[in-house]
Amino acid sequence: MSNKKPKECFYCVNQLDVDYKDVRTLRRFINFYMKILPGDRTGVCAWHQRKLTQAVKRARVMSLLAPTHK
Amino acid sequence: MSKSKPSGLSRYEMLFIVPNNYTEDEAKSIVEKVESIIIENGANIVFHEFWGKKKLAYVIKQNHYGYYSLCEFDIERNALTKIDRVLRLSNEVLRHQIISIPVVSDEERLTIKEKQTQASKKEEKEKPNNKEKISKVAERKEKKDAGKAELKDLDQKLEGIISAKDLL
Repeated sequence: MSNKKPKECFYCVNQLDVDYKDVRTLRRFINFYMKILPGDRTGVCAWHQRKLTQAVKRARVMSLLAPTHK
Repeated sequence: MSKSKPSGLSRYEMLFIVPNNYTEDEAKSIVEKVESIIIENGANIVFHEFWGKKKLAYVIKQNHYGYYSLCEFDIERNALTKIDRVLRLSNEVLRHQIISIPVVSDEERLTIKEKQTQASKKEEKEKPNNKEKISKVAERKEKKDAGKAELKDLDQKLEGIISAKDLL
């Protein structure tokens, strides 16, 4: 769907780096089933989306985020 | 601390989990032990932080909780593999992850944390205004909070009634 969340990149706007330890912000970019949302849904720019997926995966390794919904 | 680093070394960050079958003091001593291992391998510890006991997102080796600890250091790449091997064999460390990071000064570290909290706060303020943006998780949180508030009101009323009866 093209009309979904046309907004600007969260990380560019807030001038933040993607951090795998910052679970609270990572939660925004994950759906109910703990799946990483695609870039057109998150509104994050492509550069940060790549960092984001990496960060979520790192958080999963360290048990900061669940890999799936129960 | 200093922003520059000696040549040949790179900045790394390690997050590791100590299992829950130790007490907090024991866990702290284990953290110190791990840090001494890092130093022995020629690393220069720049920053370390003990997060304390946290619930794991999933069960690891029958552990539901773990003590998280973070450590930043400068080290040569070759020595890194040694540390990795030692920690992987150790039973005292449940899990660890070493990641290369850009060099960050202490001041910058503080500002980053501030920014993170500010950004999340901003988001919470924005959310009630447009319903489209509310995610399922947030909705459930709000419901929970509302439920809690109702319970609190009930509690207060009950207490009022009880105290009134006592007076009679």
